[in-house]
Amino acid sequence: MADTLFTNVRILDGTGTQPYAGSVLVSGNRIRQVGRSTAPITPGGATVIDGAGATLMPGMVEAHTHFSWNDAASLGAIQAMPLEEHVLWCAKVARRYLEAGFTSCVGAACAKPRLDVVIRNAIESGQIPGPRYLAASQEITVLGGLGDETLPHLPFPEFSFGVNVCGADEMRKAVRLFLKYGVDSIKLNLSGDNFTPQSPAETTWMLDEEVAAAMREVKIRGKRGIAHARSSDSVKQALRHGIDLIYHASFVDNEALDMLEAAKDRVFVAPGIAILYAMLHEAEPFGITNAMATQMGYQIEWDAALESLSKMHKRGIRVLPGGDYGFAFTPHCQNARDLEFFVKYLGFTPMEAIRATTVYGGQIMMRGHELGAVKDGFLADLLLVDGDPLANLSILRDPKRILAVMKDGVFAKSPAMASQRAWGQAA
Amino acid sequence: MADVLYTNVRIFDGGGEAPFTGDVLVQGNTISRVVKTAHGQRLPPSSSMIAGAQVIDAGGAFLMPGMVEAHTHFSWNDQPSLDAIQRMPPEEHILWCAEVAKKYLDMGWTSCVGAAAAKPRLDVVIRNAINDGTIVGPRYLAASQEITVPGGLGDTTQPHLPQPEFAFGAIVSGAEEMRRCVRMFAKYGVDSLKINLSGESITGMPGEMSQFTEEEIRVCVEEAKAWGKRVAAHARSAWSVKQCVKQGIEVIYHASFTDEEALDMLEAKKLEHFVAPGLAWLINTSHHASQWGLTPEVTKKMGYHRELEAAIDSMKAMRKRGIRILPGGDYGFAWTPHGTNAKDLEYFVRHVGMSTMEALLSATAWGGPMMKMGKRIGYIREGCLADLLLIDGDPLADITVLQDKARILSVMKDGQWHRAPPVRNARATRWAA
Repeated sequence: MADTLFTNVRILDGTGTQPYAGSVLVSGNRIRQVGRSTAPITPGGATVIDGAGATLMPGMVEAHTHFSWNDAASLGAIQAMPLEEHVLWCAKVARRYLEAGFTSCVGAACAKPRLDVVIRNAIESGQIPGPRYLAASQEITVLGGLGDETLPHLPFPEFSFGVNVCGADEMRKAVRLFLKYGVDSIKLNLSGDNFTPQSPAETTWMLDEEVAAAMREVKIRGKRGIAHARSSDSVKQALRHGIDLIYHASFVDNEALDMLEAAKDRVFVAPGIAILYAMLHEAEPFGITNAMATQMGYQIEWDAALESLSKMHKRGIRVLPGGDYGFAFTPHCQNARDLEFFVKYLGFTPMEAIRATTVYGGQIMMRGHELGAVKDGFLADLLLVDGDPLANLSILRDPKRILAVMKDGVFAKSPAMASQRAWGQAA
Repeated sequence: MADVLYTNVRIFDGGGEAPFTGDVLVQGNTISRVVKTAHGQRLPPSSSMIAGAQVIDAGGAFLMPGMVEAHTHFSWNDQPSLDAIQRMPPEEHILWCAEVAKKYLDMGWTSCVGAAAAKPRLDVVIRNAINDGTIVGPRYLAASQEITVPGGLGDTTQPHLPQPEFAFGAIVSGAEEMRRCVRMFAKYGVDSLKINLSGESITGMPGEMSQFTEEEIRVCVEEAKAWGKRVAAHARSAWSVKQCVKQGIEVIYHASFTDEEALDMLEAKKLEHFVAPGLAWLINTSHHASQWGLTPEVTKKMGYHRELEAAIDSMKAMRKRGIRILPGGDYGFAWTPHGTNAKDLEYFVRHVGMSTMEALLSATAWGGPMMKMGKRIGYIREGCLADLLLIDGDPLADITVLQDKARILSVMKDGQWHRAPPVRNARATRWAA
């Protein structure tokens, strides 16, 4: 692809610096030069995009993505989709995330063993469009825990949303199988979840031997362990075993907070609070009234999560947006709403919310040195946004305001341009 | 999408007449007006009719109905063996099929007749995903896997690996196994059942050999018809072609070896059958597969050279008798890659003796009934569905222009642009360069 020069843009570089007017030259797949002057960079042979004052910012990173959740209202309904349809669904969702401005996504678990791996490979080979992607395993759980969807009279593993293990040996085997398939990360359901009343959020299920067995295999292959951890005990268990990506962390006591703070250079927390809010206030069309959600424990968890996450943010622990979109109550591609929640409920400034999805996003993708900021030499993952996200974060979830999306130097969504070329047979 | 008016096009309308200059108006998914303008026969559509329509001044380009591929295998993955096709895992396989479906539309095939899938549900899922807009692709009829017998074409299991998952086809033996198999595919929602009546030389069982019993075939057809499904047969041998006529198998693939009796039987029921020979497979296996170890010496020994000669003779004889011969077939092997399917039209002209007009009709007018859509596609006539190709050049003068994507200026399916002609965008925006 030809080089691209964005002129006359307001650069929101992701690092926390106030936006400034300037121009940005993209050469190949990297940002070659960021100009802080209103006098544009000399274009040379580059295609010039006159931004007319629009905001240019780094592509957003979704820290907790489930492409294979199919906007259904139950785990059973996600699992019931046949394999072939499920792959095509994932491919379609991957394209939609990219077009919505998420140029990177961290897979947080998939609903069938190979879905994430296959989608990641297809994106990387250019077969389908999609964000940069880290592929996860299915959720690994214990009998009766979150993700065990088998029924007493239907005990077959194919009926299960997650992979059910019991004991260190079975855990080791399950982890090795996913590593063989080529995942980037292994997902362990350490705590329960109020969505599955038989295993509520504050319960903690796995034995230390089981987690240790999993993490040994993960470390040997140089992969990452990630955890569903809503309870305080599960957060501590994750930290004890070297799991550095913690999903939810709704309930944390002071000991857990201290442990998180001590590990803050390596730990990421992606709470996925949208699902808590949606279950309480927006799930009625799907049969879950506020009273039912409260009865399930969601009000208690919501209150606890706001307190826990606000404290984490104050202590400088990296809290990232994204999470658990893909249910009927949290449909895919509304994910940028998390930024608004962070400001409204967790005490983030808009600038901090942007930094969480850009600079921290590059770090959670394990490419902090080259991803997540508008800086010389960084990978050219860029959004051109109509408006100022710092003044109104909600524009980031409005497709009309996302004027252009560039991933790796190539437009995934092209800006509207007038063609200079006439064609012999044109109207 | 706005209505579209093609002006100044040379229209090949699928009726077999010489093309004429005119205008074509598409409203919604339907061709609503076709007007000859060269000699002022009729008035062009009134301005009120075309208000708001996108006007495509084609500068004399050739407008023809979208083509119909009569023998399509989206799930063949351009590999050199059945085994290599079968080995692709289902997740990758479905993405492959989606990619290929788009490629066919890119190349002007707005309809395809599935002729067998490599795993049970691939064709059905792709058809459904095209219809609900999840992916882009041609109109599609979904096929079953190839139904075969132990040791027949499609049985790729090995003595030490007897699991059915290793088989390319669905293997049955006996009438009741056949019945169960047909019912399973009917449950999955296929449009047609594919049965391998004859052998295939590359698999070790020669094309002239026929392995099924008449009883098994009868049960297959009976069950399929009970479910309202069509049956299509891999039928290279004369016996298998006769079985197709005798038992009412509508679609006959290959038909390389025919005797007088087979030809007479076919001719007598020529409006009840379609023949899609898949000549590309025979031609390219015989002469253009050396890179994959199949030198002409090897393929001659296999019997492909003799079969190619027989097939050409059979097709010539069928053409003379007015039996419908349709293009397409067995693209998706390493030496017959997907997207090159329009070569079949060239083969029809060069080897079978068709005129370029006959070759075009075989891909258009005959495609409608092959798709079970009668005359709703395959023609540029008022009331037909708007599946339209705009071609730079004259396929009647040079049938090979249809092989070149750059010459296919635009592809419209069901009134929607799959590929719009390059037109100038008059709107300027503030982000313009």
